[in-house]
Amino acid sequence: MGKSVKEILIDGNGYACIQCGRCTGSCPSGRECSLRTRKLIHMARMGMDVIKTEELWDCTTCFTCQERCPKEVKTTDMIIELRNLAVEEGYFPTMSDVPKIIIKSLYDTGAGQPLSPEVSKIRAIIGLKKEAYDVSTNAETLKKFQRLLDGLEITKKGGLR
Amino acid sequence: MEEYAFFPGCIAKNVYPGIEKATRIVFEKLGIGLRDYEYSCCPPPGVLACYDKPSWLVMGARNLSQSEKDGLNPMTVCSGCYGTLHNVWYALKNDPDLMGFVNDHLGRIDAEYKGKVHPIHFVDILKNYKEKIAELKEIDLGLNVAVHYGCHYLKPSSVTGENSERPTLLDELVGLAGCKAVPFKDGLTCCGAGGGVMSGEPDVSLKIINTKLNNMKDANVDAIVNICSFCHMQFDQSQKKLKTTEIPVLHLNQLFGLAFGIRPKHLALHTHLVSTRDLEKKLKDLKKGGE
Ligand code: SF4
Ligand code: SF4
Repeated sequence: MGKSVKEILIDGNGYACIQCGRCTGSCPSGRECSLRTRKLIHMARMGMDVIKTEELWDCTTCFTCQERCPKEVKTTDMIIELRNLAVEEGYFPTMSDVPKIIIKSLYDTGAGQPLSPEVSKIRAIIGLKKEAYDVSTNAETLKKFQRLLDGLEITKKGGLR
Repeated sequence: MEEYAFFPGCIAKNVYPGIEKATRIVFEKLGIGLRDYEYSCCPPPGVLACYDKPSWLVMGARNLSQSEKDGLNPMTVCSGCYGTLHNVWYALKNDPDLMGFVNDHLGRIDAEYKGKVHPIHFVDILKNYKEKIAELKEIDLGLNVAVHYGCHYLKPSSVTGENSERPTLLDELVGLAGCKAVPFKDGLTCCGAGGGVMSGEPDVSLKIINTKLNNMKDANVDAIVNICSFCHMQFDQSQKKLKTTEIPVLHLNQLFGLAFGIRPKHLALHTHLVSTRDLEKKLKDLKKGGE
């Protein structure tokens, strides 16, 4: 299913970009770091190594740039696709292991954010079940869920092996 | 009785259970049924959609499929969950090939998603119950609040159909609890948690929320009201780290719980990292004054 940079540009209407910079000007993340949305689009079009740039991972996917682009370039959709391509090519974000921890927890418990003993206690105090009813309540269901993830080879892509 | 499949999401279940509790109380009072299912994590739009879109689609579709036999639409109290489920639903609805791909995977565990139920954000249910909410209100909270619409309830508007630049719904809803939505600088910007930035680039994430919190502080608000468990977590946890502001954080269902006369402890306000004590004291005085 992986798309090339060119396909990502075509699907995201990236060739219509006039480099006006409204996306960069709207970006809440770019104000605080070196992410420049317009520049990412430019790099992608020029065949530069856009998937290797760390700034690709500073986007919060807030969609403000995509909402405001005068040429209907799907900037945020493209950033998400470019990240998928980066992962496929082995360019993981290097700053933190937390995404990997989340994916492991997802596989083991079905929850990206697992339940701690402390919160379990709070649940009981406020009158909720100690553990919420979900995919992990029933061992059979959890096994099936893991079988689904095995088929998707998610543990390989999460860099967990 | 109107009924929904309740998709609480990981944060409301496992980190801020007061949100799950408040939601159950508020919906029961409104006479809206909520049914539980064997849901997994949505999965997260930031981490998973960005790492491996096919897995994100398949897991999202598995969740959507859970209530299909009962014909119940899943309701979310987190805009992250909503973003995932709604975008998955939208993508599959418009692409039979993709639906086929997803169902090939789901078929291996005897599941199938036909696209007959679709996710709904809880505020889109509450907006049809304005009169009932006003009836149920026991306390006029009288707070000045900063409402946080967040990103994925509103955007992308091509998918959500919302007005992303001038929304008014939350201003109206907090008004039903006797609160005033105070305008503040850059009111609609992101909380900085999404897109895997909170987990992957924590420094950037904190800088974004710091700017936002200071803008809220400048507007002298009593509380921040959100409609997303993930934003809620970001607002509460980051203030503990940044130590520059101390504004209590309430999920909209907790705000309504308070207005309906539910005790703060039952809404787990005492477990928030930013103290809600001043807020609670204000409410106690109000209650006394009203008696
Ligand atoms: S706002 Fe649109 S047209 Fe302008 S630079 Fe950004 S992507 Fe290009
Ligand atoms: S979606 Fe990403 S690039 Fe676009 S404005 Fe938001 S943070 Fe910036």
